[in-house]
Amino acid sequence: MTRLRPLLNLAIILIVWEIVGQFQLVASGALPAPSAVLLRLITDWSDYPLHIGATLYGAGVGFVIGNLVAVAAGVLFALYPVSARVARGLNVAIFALPPIAISPILVLTLSDMAPRIVLAALGCYFVTMTATVVGLTQADARAVDVVRAYGGGKWAALRFVQWRNALPTILSGLRIAAPNAVLGSILAEFGGGGRWGLGVYLLGSLGRAEPDRLWGIGLVATAIAALAYFAFAALSHFVTRGTQAVTVPSAVLSSGDKPRPAWQQALIIAASVALPFALWWVLLALLRVPTMIAKTPPGLFDYLFLLPSAPIAQGKLLAALAQTLPMTLVGMVCGLALAFALALSSQIWPAIVRAFMPVALVTQTMPLVALTPLLVLMLGRGPAVILWITISVTFFPAFVTMAQGLLQVPRAALDVPKAYGAGIFKQLRLVSVPASLPYLFAATRLTVPRALLGVMIAEWLATGTGLGNLLNQSRGYLDYGMIWAVAVISVLISVMFYQIVVAVERRTLGRLGMASAE
Amino acid sequence: MASGIRLEAVSRTFTSRGQATEALRGVSLDCAPGSFTALIGPSGCGKSTILRLCLGLDTADAGTLAVGDFSPTEATRQGLTGVAFQDAALLPWRSVEKNIALPLDVLGLPIADYRARIAELIALVGLTGYEKALPSELSGGMRQRVAIARALVTTPKVLFLDEPFGALDQILRRQMNIELQRIWMETQATTLLVTHGIDEAVFLADRVVVMASRPGRIAKIIEIDLPRPRDPALFNAEHFHALERQVSEALDGH
Repeated sequence: MTRLRPLLNLAIILIVWEIVGQFQLVASGALPAPSAVLLRLITDWSDYPLHIGATLYGAGVGFVIGNLVAVAAGVLFALYPVSARVARGLNVAIFALPPIAISPILVLTLSDMAPRIVLAALGCYFVTMTATVVGLTQADARAVDVVRAYGGGKWAALRFVQWRNALPTILSGLRIAAPNAVLGSILAEFGGGGRWGLGVYLLGSLGRAEPDRLWGIGLVATAIAALAYFAFAALSHFVTRGTQAVTVPSAVLSSGDKPRPAWQQALIIAASVALPFALWWVLLALLRVPTMIAKTPPGLFDYLFLLPSAPIAQGKLLAALAQTLPMTLVGMVCGLALAFALALSSQIWPAIVRAFMPVALVTQTMPLVALTPLLVLMLGRGPAVILWITISVTFFPAFVTMAQGLLQVPRAALDVPKAYGAGIFKQLRLVSVPASLPYLFAATRLTVPRALLGVMIAEWLATGTGLGNLLNQSRGYLDYGMIWAVAVISVLISVMFYQIVVAVERRTLGRLGMASAE
Repeated sequence: MASGIRLEAVSRTFTSRGQATEALRGVSLDCAPGSFTALIGPSGCGKSTILRLCLGLDTADAGTLAVGDFSPTEATRQGLTGVAFQDAALLPWRSVEKNIALPLDVLGLPIADYRARIAELIALVGLTGYEKALPSELSGGMRQRVAIARALVTTPKVLFLDEPFGALDQILRRQMNIELQRIWMETQATTLLVTHGIDEAVFLADRVVVMASRPGRIAKIIEIDLPRPRDPALFNAEHFHALERQVSEALDGH
């Protein structure tokens, strides 16, 4: 019976959805009935293969390249901790960058499928790199000692102990990377270029007010991402003979480097900040993109501060930021607060978690932000849609992270206050809330880039405000400087938010003697 | 020809969070070839640090160490040493046989030449029939015996044992002590045993080195003049108890 419970819930959802759709109860028919979506899917089916093929190609090639680079980087970082510190800036930037912001740049500087491949690869890189480092460094230290005690070096330890130990972790990383690759490919398709792809199809259908077709495309995209997820879940299960919880990494690892003199520390930090900019410059030089289109760091500086048009550009940017930033913050705080409240209440009513967790886990495999057009259709083009999109992209991962964290609070810890007659709220206050702090921070780190991504997509597709709209407009005006400025500034904002969360986290958890959750 | 272990004025200080801990200060120790030395002392006295330094897993801040005629790193690379730690540290994905062969893999020795040796060791530690078993299918005591067999696979001239029976119950521990004495008498390897057990130290060793902490140093060296082979009846002998008392008093700082 307990195994059938999720299926039962699903059946209830489908029936309610069918009724709502049949009677056009939501936004006068913007939410069509599942039967209508299915019928439309069958009628349109001849359009799908080419779109699906194009998205899968971008996602698949990106998945392979991104993960190969990620594993290689993970091995390097694990073997030489100093390299992890030097690459920290780059890793934070890749983790935090809102893919939609750089998608126009990729379309400008690369051609054909390359933008999709790059965004799909970037979506895989962070997850798999982190999984590799964690798997390699958490190998049994005693077993590593045995290898070293026979004169084995780093590579021998890697070969005989760490590699095999990391395999299950890497596989569970690939599980999360697979839907990310699909999402990356679709987001690059939003950025333009190409005739085929589910993202192209989705955008093309958005203007034609055909909700049943939009839903059909959304379901197919979700199904592909979910299939990719479950294929790797099955592989991981086969190799490790066990299941692991889905947690998405959100910490940029600070690996165990030895203490160094202050000047070396400063050098490493400087290198870590400089590396992303250097890479930006070098890549442009290698690609030989005309300077009018491709802005180097100094080129962008000219555009923003030195050229005669600089004040106008600055004004546009500031106005857009004033619209985007408050929305991002409000959406993020709402999403986190909702997730926190629900996760905590599941301590009082465990049935909540049991009923809701399967749904929340499924959303982890959904290219949620790629489904923005559906929300636009349902919620219209007002500011509310921004908030809803941002809340939905932050809520689910935050809930999963926090609920799984709270499940790890030992029963005995709750029993101590209970044994002294504490009520449920006192138990929450004394045990559950403090115990869930590391997970709250982990969830916040995770949602920072997603919130900005959600806001920018909503602005781009729906409201015509803020940074997202500025990016979209500049594409039309061929204002290359502005495209670069928006991309770089949104990455910088995301990185800054991330660093603020990390700083607050270190202080708070440090004072409480708690370790960061990962 | 066996090799000895020599430490001269070895010091090692650890710093964590700006707090310096002197794990070892000016420790000198000479273990003759073929001898059995037990290191005993309170936790934090640096006994495991000595062992890690001898294996090249850590480097001393001052002083010199030698295993045979070589530095620790050279000695381990040549396969002169064997080691067993407190927890068996077996690789969960390797069978008993393959776990025992791990040092050969690391040293790049051809496993085919050692088939007979591995079978012999499995018999020695009483695990015949379990060659293909995975560590998860073994009991704690059996896993520890695999670790001992692994330590012996290269026929080491010098054997380092870091509380190898620490996780076992008293009865199993006594059995393993008797086994270890037999193995040591057969191989004649210079042995350095780190232990918490006074009875274990007295029963096995030629010399018991009692250490003190903060800073880690040698407090007293007690010669154990019991004849060999020593048998289990010894655990109840008057002279055995007297020696135990001596070690115990040295541990209390007398």
